[in-house]
Amino acid sequence: MNALATDMATEPDAAAETASREELLRVDNVSLSFGGVKAITDISFDILKGEIRAIIGPNGAGKTSMLNVINGFYHPQQGTITWQGKERRKIKPHEAVSQGIARTFQNVALFKGMSTLDNIMAGRATAMKANIFFQMFWYGPAMREEIEHRKKVEDIIDFLEIQAIRRTPVGKLPYGLQKRVELARALAMEPDLLLLDEPMAGMNLEEKEDMSRFILDVNQEFGTTIALIEHDMGVVMDLSDRVVVLDYGKKIADGTPEEVQGNQDVIDAYLGVAH
Amino acid sequence: MIFRTAGQYKTSYEADQALFPVKQDFYLVLGILLLGYVVFPLTASEFTFKALLVPVLIYALAALGLNILTGYCGQLSLGTGAFMGVGAYATYKLMTIVPEMNIFAAIFLSGFFSAAVGVAFGLPSLRIKGFYLAIATLAAQFFLVWLFEKWAWLYNYNASGAIEVATSSVFGITVTGPTALPIVQYYCVLIVVTLVTWVAINLTRGRYGRMWKATRDMDIAAELVGIKLMTAKLTAFAVSSYIVGVAGGLLVFFWKGAAEPNLFDIPLSFQILFIAIIGGLGSILGNFLGAILIVALPVILNLIPSTLGIPVDSATLEHLNVMIVGALIIAFLILEPHGLARFYAIIREKFILWPFPY
Repeated sequence: MNALATDMATEPDAAAETASREELLRVDNVSLSFGGVKAITDISFDILKGEIRAIIGPNGAGKTSMLNVINGFYHPQQGTITWQGKERRKIKPHEAVSQGIARTFQNVALFKGMSTLDNIMAGRATAMKANIFFQMFWYGPAMREEIEHRKKVEDIIDFLEIQAIRRTPVGKLPYGLQKRVELARALAMEPDLLLLDEPMAGMNLEEKEDMSRFILDVNQEFGTTIALIEHDMGVVMDLSDRVVVLDYGKKIADGTPEEVQGNQDVIDAYLGVAH
Repeated sequence: MIFRTAGQYKTSYEADQALFPVKQDFYLVLGILLLGYVVFPLTASEFTFKALLVPVLIYALAALGLNILTGYCGQLSLGTGAFMGVGAYATYKLMTIVPEMNIFAAIFLSGFFSAAVGVAFGLPSLRIKGFYLAIATLAAQFFLVWLFEKWAWLYNYNASGAIEVATSSVFGITVTGPTALPIVQYYCVLIVVTLVTWVAINLTRGRYGRMWKATRDMDIAAELVGIKLMTAKLTAFAVSSYIVGVAGGLLVFFWKGAAEPNLFDIPLSFQILFIAIIGGLGSILGNFLGAILIVALPVILNLIPSTLGIPVDSATLEHLNVMIVGALIIAFLILEPHGLARFYAIIREKFILWPFPY
């Protein structure tokens, strides 16, 4: 983790850089409740193009609900979501994908009966258009499309160093690799915004270091904006440009990692308040 | 040793995505096709065609259709028999309305009717899953068989209420009706089954196959990677019912020669489902292995005592038969719950190294 910290320090002043950046997504006064249970109350924040934005908070703070709102899986009762400068109407999850929002899941949600390659190819579902009649005979456009997308998928496989497990059914892979395949599948969607829900949960130190490196690489090489939920504070503080802190569905802090770390509300939320 | 792939280098994705990327598989399939197209026709008797080869092929095709829906897309269906009926009745009506029509054209066209009916009865799958969906498809089963009985137009107001296949010929050769030669009918069925199987392989390894399998394995994640569940499920219902309908057309026109509505009742649906399950859900090969076990084995068992000269009463033989086949099904399922196709896959895996230990 120390290596990562120095890596971040050598970069130009992150705060100054983000200030000039364009807004990719903006959430305004969003509230979401399930029956009487309020999952999110009146939350507003923005995600700037090209940054790594962390969403943190204790258990049950509404972090995953927030991601589900962003990718259209839940529809908030109140508030607006502005995507690339335009206010977004109510959308379905697959529409969010075609708009450029991809995500991974807290509990690995891969297609267990399919090989790694097929899983990542499935991530290109919205980009593939070949007609069923060409598919039937594996001919012309269908075959060309298959090859063209295979090339892109192979680039991602190289990037994430999972060449060796290309043909393995993902159900047989160890947990750390499954998480990596899931990241690969999300990358195959070529997203503008990548939502990562606890990408390091259940990993050992080495796997966490690998995953951190991949996240930074994705951000820097592809220019993908990343919003991540993570409980490992070392990772969050090292990777992210800005952090939103939620607690009981409310936003309690927003700012650079240093600002957030010094915030009394955040310290109270995590450590509790002395009575 | 036998399935060793060392030395088979792929230099393009095209080669890697070929139908048989491994040479040995290609030779194996070539061998099976040779057996089907050359050896069997040269050696088989009329009885073998009628009782073994043709039914195995037709049932395997129907199971293949069901497997696309249940094995690949994960939508349980108990209406297969009725969808086969739709294919058969549609072919029959097409042939009565346009008697000079090519029988193959009629069968392939009638597939579209069963596909449409399949999609209509597949609509509940958008809301319900698993056993509940199975019950919904069961409704299709009851409704359609009732329709075959009551709607006299379907069987041309026959007094018997059954459909009977008229004689028809293709290129001057009689292919259907009582005068058609079994070997000709066998070839007809074989060609259709080969073609449809090839198409099914292409569909399941491509974009649609991935959509279906993703829907089966985790539908929420599939939706979140941009797969429209509605498209995935309804295309699976359409393709599945199409193939099942074609199998139904073949069943009546190239094998049975005549059919009453109750032929397409639940026992047929269950038989097809058993073939698909025992063969292996989510596999193409499994349907053929399953059909051999369920359809051909009883026939072969029936023949054993008479060929060995053991005097067994025919009723006893029937009972023995049911017991032996039942025991074998249970044994195979205990040995390999994922079906005969997985059994084959394990053997194939072994033969990559065999006879060396590693």
